[in-house]
Amino acid sequence: MIVFPTAYGPGRPVRLSEDTRRFAYDSLHHRYGQDTLRTPHVCMDEVAGIGEMNRLELYDAAIRRIAEEAPVRICDGERISGAATLGDALKHAVPAVYHGEILFSGVSHLTANFEKVLRMGIQGMEQEVQDASARNTDPHKSAFYRSLQNTIDSFAVWHRRYLEALDPASDNYRNLQRVPWQPPRHFYEAVQSLWFSFAFLRLCGIWPGIGRIDQLLGSYLEKDLRDGVLTLEEAREILAHFFIKGCEWITGVAAFDNGSGDAQHYQNIVLAGVDAQGREVTNEVTYLVLDILEELGISDFPVTVRINEHSPEQLLRRVAEVIRHGGGIVAVYNEPLILRSLVRTGYSLETARGFANDGCWEVQIPGHTCFSYVPFDALTLLQKKTLQGGRAHFDSYEALYAQYLCDLEGQVDAIYQECCGDWGKEAPSVDCASLWQHCTVVSLFEEGCVERGLSYLNGGADYRILSPHIGGLPDAVNSLYAIRKAVFEDHLVEFDELMGILERNWEGAESLRQTIWSRYRWWGNDNDEVDAIAADLLDTFADFCQKRTVDIRHQFIPGVSTFGRQVEWIPIRMATAFGKKQGAILSGNCSPTPGTDKEGATAVIRSYCKADLSRQASGAALDIPLTPSMVRGEEGLDALMSLIRGFVQLGGFFMQLDVVDGQTLRQAQEHPEEYATLSVRVSGWNARFVTLSREWQNMIIERDSPSC
Amino acid sequence: MLVTNIQRFCMHDGPGVRTTIFLQGCPLHCLWCHNPETQSLHPALLFSREHCISCGGCAAVCPTKSQIIRPERRWNRGTCTDCGACAAVCPTKALRLSAKEMTPQEIVAEAEKDRAFYGRRGGITLSGGEPLLHGEQALELLREAKRSGLHTAVETCGVFDGSLLPELCRYVDLFLWDIKDTDSNRLYRYTGACQERILNNLEAAGRNGATVRLRCLLVSGINTEEAHIAGIADLYNRFSFISGVDFLPCHLMAEAKYREVGSVYEIPPTAATSPQTVQWARELFDRLKTRPEAS
Repeated sequence: MIVFPTAYGPGRPVRLSEDTRRFAYDSLHHRYGQDTLRTPHVCMDEVAGIGEMNRLELYDAAIRRIAEEAPVRICDGERISGAATLGDALKHAVPAVYHGEILFSGVSHLTANFEKVLRMGIQGMEQEVQDASARNTDPHKSAFYRSLQNTIDSFAVWHRRYLEALDPASDNYRNLQRVPWQPPRHFYEAVQSLWFSFAFLRLCGIWPGIGRIDQLLGSYLEKDLRDGVLTLEEAREILAHFFIKGCEWITGVAAFDNGSGDAQHYQNIVLAGVDAQGREVTNEVTYLVLDILEELGISDFPVTVRINEHSPEQLLRRVAEVIRHGGGIVAVYNEPLILRSLVRTGYSLETARGFANDGCWEVQIPGHTCFSYVPFDALTLLQKKTLQGGRAHFDSYEALYAQYLCDLEGQVDAIYQECCGDWGKEAPSVDCASLWQHCTVVSLFEEGCVERGLSYLNGGADYRILSPHIGGLPDAVNSLYAIRKAVFEDHLVEFDELMGILERNWEGAESLRQTIWSRYRWWGNDNDEVDAIAADLLDTFADFCQKRTVDIRHQFIPGVSTFGRQVEWIPIRMATAFGKKQGAILSGNCSPTPGTDKEGATAVIRSYCKADLSRQASGAALDIPLTPSMVRGEEGLDALMSLIRGFVQLGGFFMQLDVVDGQTLRQAQEHPEEYATLSVRVSGWNARFVTLSREWQNMIIERDSPSC
Repeated sequence: MLVTNIQRFCMHDGPGVRTTIFLQGCPLHCLWCHNPETQSLHPALLFSREHCISCGGCAAVCPTKSQIIRPERRWNRGTCTDCGACAAVCPTKALRLSAKEMTPQEIVAEAEKDRAFYGRRGGITLSGGEPLLHGEQALELLREAKRSGLHTAVETCGVFDGSLLPELCRYVDLFLWDIKDTDSNRLYRYTGACQERILNNLEAAGRNGATVRLRCLLVSGINTEEAHIAGIADLYNRFSFISGVDFLPCHLMAEAKYREVGSVYEIPPTAATSPQTVQWARELFDRLKTRPEAS
């Protein structure tokens, strides 16, 4: 019997066949990922005439070679076929080398237009390319149209190689004879079509999100069920293979050395929410996806569920049931707030309702958007720029805050100047030397590129978004609040004296450090005074961005994130005015600074929601950790559903509820200052883990450790 | 009224998500009490040695010179008046008072903060200590909560002024009623409570239209015997206003708290309850009950 790990004591349900579960187990245990690493790339050294090619021709040759030479992999018993089998694609590169050098970068932070693939097939998309090419009179763009045709031809070559390798008597062969070239006629073909297109993009080094899979596939399943040609059980098996195949890049080793792990390929999925007409999308596919995640625990397709005031009770319940297994696989969007945000940005309501994400959690219109973001650290900005490393002097909090806002605008403007200089000046280019510029494969799958004759990264996509992301927000806010209270209101210390103390990393001032740390209620404790600083800061940040947005096609929109940068920022940060010493790990995304949160999850959500998050149009992520014991049984489901409903009602943006296991609790015991938010169910009540005595902690660790 | 703690996002003190309000003061002194700091009628000074940084701030402000920093961090409880002057200056909160004064309105305002999370079932729970020890003030708090449309639960040991009940029952949606022991002698010995008073109040609550859920703490070797479970089943079968029974295990984890209060944790280690014992009680009760419980 195969067991998939879970943080939830009673274990995971079993609905899928043993063969499918075995396939999942092998895939999750690196079998196909290791196979992918065996062939890192194709080699361009022997390609005829390569010395005379311009960069675009070189790109085309690389794509053709990949299609011709990438290993074909057909796994035993797989229900759908196609595999991205070149290892360098895992490193965000087009997996083709010339004299040992990577030639082109990969592309990520997008969701490709799979809706179009299903609606018109690659054949229909080819027709579009040919029509646009025929209409084109700009000689500079002809090369791009030739490149698009090359992408389609290469895709066809790769497709043919799979047909040749497959058993003609198999379902896979029969399905692939039709899709993705033509539109699917039923659910099974639709899943194969979606997978094959996704796999081809990944083969070429592109990491697309999937988008709204239930909306993409729901009508096919509905029709099949109605016609009696497919059962829900069969549909679940087929769809499970989509998720299992999606684990073919799990290698057991990190692709990069930055500590971010081995499963970072932005293959996100969005579930539920309303369609363009405002009708709820939730359908059988929504529930099948949740079934599959609940059973197999596959975390490689992070799922975000669009929740609104009218979301079906059953949906919320199923989401809660999956969340309690841990791993943070399923997160939630507050749909009404995000729609408001998008409409304010300038999208029509119909367009806005189509939103998905960039493969992470930044909101975008899938298949139409070229997105990138630039992070900066709000805390370092305060410490190094505004406070000049401790050498600045301010006579009032107001003067300090005004200077900080001024520096914030400077930061925002620097990002704008650096990244948006070419806006409105996009022009076709066949010979751009940049690793980034040539990306015809992804251009084929993004609206606007074919019509405009411009590549995705060069102004082709309908919407171009550059998003400055503010990080360390709670830390900066707590620092401002500490100075305001301790220096200017309670007069515990003089301004200059405090600056000196911070430069010395609180040395010789332990009593003052403890007093400040324990005396005030920091951001995340539902304290209006400090929460108002965060709200104002975010509003002002949004104003600065809005001023620089050109039009709907060129958006400069704010977001809040750290994505783990709180670790890499440690060396550049000083001791904080609220009592953290140099070297501490501080806040991640919108979560409270570790150790500052004393009031629990609901208070954190309240603090977070006091800002108008609809103005953070790119997104603002909140992570809430919970222990397995808190989510046990009916009461646990109730807790999760209540948190989600409250989050929507109060105006959150994106929330991830993480159920953490015993190992994490042991770490919390060693480093309590970093885990203050962690709530545990003790017996008949809840308590913050770090507030418990050692004996209690040990008891809970033992109780919450997974039995396997 | 004296509040020791307001705990948000509680899941097991009544239905749904709840804010639990712990009040100072209890008429009982149960051997197994896990909140010893709530027993006294006045705020108690608590001292957590591991948080003390020996800064000496407390000794400097103590009016009775009860704080002794050197050579060993301790204080003279005999002369200490629990005035809290030291707690006010302690930088690490190693010294703190167990409770602070709040008005019913302030408490309800705190509870209001989590309204978005209560949904249809959640609300507030009064706990303690014994919350009904606060008599009129407890009533006022409950009245105020009902005025705000909050679901109200009260966790009680059953020892309180019974004349409150007619009024009380108008504002309490659910009583979580402790049945610590059905053997009167044992009950008195280990908690100091009078059985008759508890049962009179329970019956009176029923007469006044209360809905009650029994909460039964199982303490190994003290009340884990068939007769006690049968006694609980008897109460449940006799009174239709009792909607259900919860059996809770006793954990022996309060040692640090007793240290902070400066008293001794006397309960024997054998009193801890295993999950098997809880299951035994549950199964025995299920055999003896004559009607189904509400969930």
